[in-house]
Amino acid sequence: MVAIIVKNLSKSFEVSRKAKMHSKSKSHGENLGKEFKAVDDISFEVEKGEIFGFLGPNGAGKTTTIRMLTGVLKPTNGSITIFGKDSRTHSLHIKQLIGNVPEEASVYADLSGWNNLLLIGELYGLSKEERKNRAEYLLKEFELFEKKNIKAKTYSKGMKQRLLLSMALMSNPEILFLDEPTSGLDVQSARIIKEIILEYNKKGTTIFLTTHDMDIANELCHRIAIINKGKIISLDTPENFKALVQEYQAIDLTVEHGLLKNEIEILNYIKEVQEVNGGYHIIVDDIHNSICEIIDYIRTNNLKIKKLITYQPKLEEAFLKIIERGGSK
Amino acid sequence: MIESADHKMSKFRSIGTQIRRSFIITKKDLRIYYNKPPVLIQGILFPFILFIALTIGRNIQSIYLISGMMAMILFLTSTSLGPIVFPWEAMRKTLERLITCPISIKTILLGSMWSSLIYGVLFSSIPLILGAIFSVIPLNINLLLIVGGMIVAGLAFSCFSLILSVPSSSTPGSTMILTILIKFPLVFMTPLFMPIVLTPIAYVSPLTYFIDIINVSFGDLSVFGMFGLLIDFGVLILFGLGFLFLSFFLHEKTLEKRFQG
Repeated sequence: MVAIIVKNLSKSFEVSRKAKMHSKSKSHGENLGKEFKAVDDISFEVEKGEIFGFLGPNGAGKTTTIRMLTGVLKPTNGSITIFGKDSRTHSLHIKQLIGNVPEEASVYADLSGWNNLLLIGELYGLSKEERKNRAEYLLKEFELFEKKNIKAKTYSKGMKQRLLLSMALMSNPEILFLDEPTSGLDVQSARIIKEIILEYNKKGTTIFLTTHDMDIANELCHRIAIINKGKIISLDTPENFKALVQEYQAIDLTVEHGLLKNEIEILNYIKEVQEVNGGYHIIVDDIHNSICEIIDYIRTNNLKIKKLITYQPKLEEAFLKIIERGGSK
Repeated sequence: MIESADHKMSKFRSIGTQIRRSFIITKKDLRIYYNKPPVLIQGILFPFILFIALTIGRNIQSIYLISGMMAMILFLTSTSLGPIVFPWEAMRKTLERLITCPISIKTILLGSMWSSLIYGVLFSSIPLILGAIFSVIPLNINLLLIVGGMIVAGLAFSCFSLILSVPSSSTPGSTMILTILIKFPLVFMTPLFMPIVLTPIAYVSPLTYFIDIINVSFGDLSVFGMFGLLIDFGVLILFGLGFLFLSFFLHEKTLEKRFQG
């Protein structure tokens, strides 16, 4: 079942005098009074139960897209369908199905964590009993229960972010939109948030996630769309993205008493050898076969390994490569 | 036919749900914003200062003193909360979270309107209660008329305050300056603490009609003649509805500007 269908979605903003004054970019000034396309004709689908990553550099259009999906902004063109309902005609129905953690949002600082959750529960139409049970469960799950009656203004950034996520989960949403949920957080908070995303996804919640953290995207997302300058330039699984950068497979090798660079270079699967700190950084075609070759060579020559580290291609490298060349396919 | 009836029913249910949820917004606004400096300054301090400035050294009849005080407090308090809620929520970055809840922008505005009304009615009752305690108001006052007038006028003023929060500023201070520039001339063009004199400018101020209701409830004659009360309530309802729908329209148009960039 498809959870989200986005078709030819665009969003334009008028370049205001204020934006011109604050922008160092020449294009804003030149386009004063004209329209600036923040999102330009994008289309994609998200399956129910999927964790869908939305990656892109700053200003690429991620937040604008998420704001259109959550009903904050109205699309200039195109359509959004969530669980079969058109966002233009069923916005309240859609809002009832979703939870949202906006990028720069904050909790109500003058309310306690407990009251922040009860407020959201009431706005989603939960009964008094449901509100209390759900708030208690979430505060315990997010390790905030002990501070539930303290005003949220005393919470740390990580605690506020955990509270925001628990507010988004208050109604047990079908789809959870997360805009940079772990940005700038301490390790503990980031870990809790990551675990809970996985836990809710296992229960069937569809997750739409934007992040700059490639490790999180790689670890959590089933599919990833890369957006740049308002356009989706690539959409695939993390594995397929990483397959695009096989040249990033490498081995760091240091051997006691050393070995000659030209002796390694002649091995079959070796592409390039660089001398680094008394050892070698070896770029290879195939990690498995090249390690087997190197080990054979070391055994035959009766050498002793001091250090052997392998490097697999990372999503980050694939992301940078795709952004540089403006699309993968 | 049946489908159309079902559609109408679900639309009514949806309107009912949104009105119920507007009261949740009211509860939140009263809880969070009643003690914010702009609200305290405009809602309590300004009426007190204006009262002293406008009454000192003048021989004022007690009923005009009470009706003037009530009108001024009702107007300034019920317009003190509305203009700051949106900029405050934008500044504190809670607005985006709020509008992704299953409520419309109209629901948020209605909630803000109810909270302004409650705040205004509570504070404008103070001169009435003090007047009753110190026996400066007649014994045969029409309390029902006073309460009705306070609610209708309070609603009109609260709706007016929603328009003051339209500019997409995220600093409550700049909104406060704008509201002062608009609200205070309105106070000064109203015949406060005296019998109403119908100058052309007095017709424009909604406060005039509220003062007339209070004066009538104290036993005075309406300045608008036989159908005075009808005119007073009618004009205040028209003002209120006009402000409300205008604020719906303007907020829906300007909301996106708060999230650009």
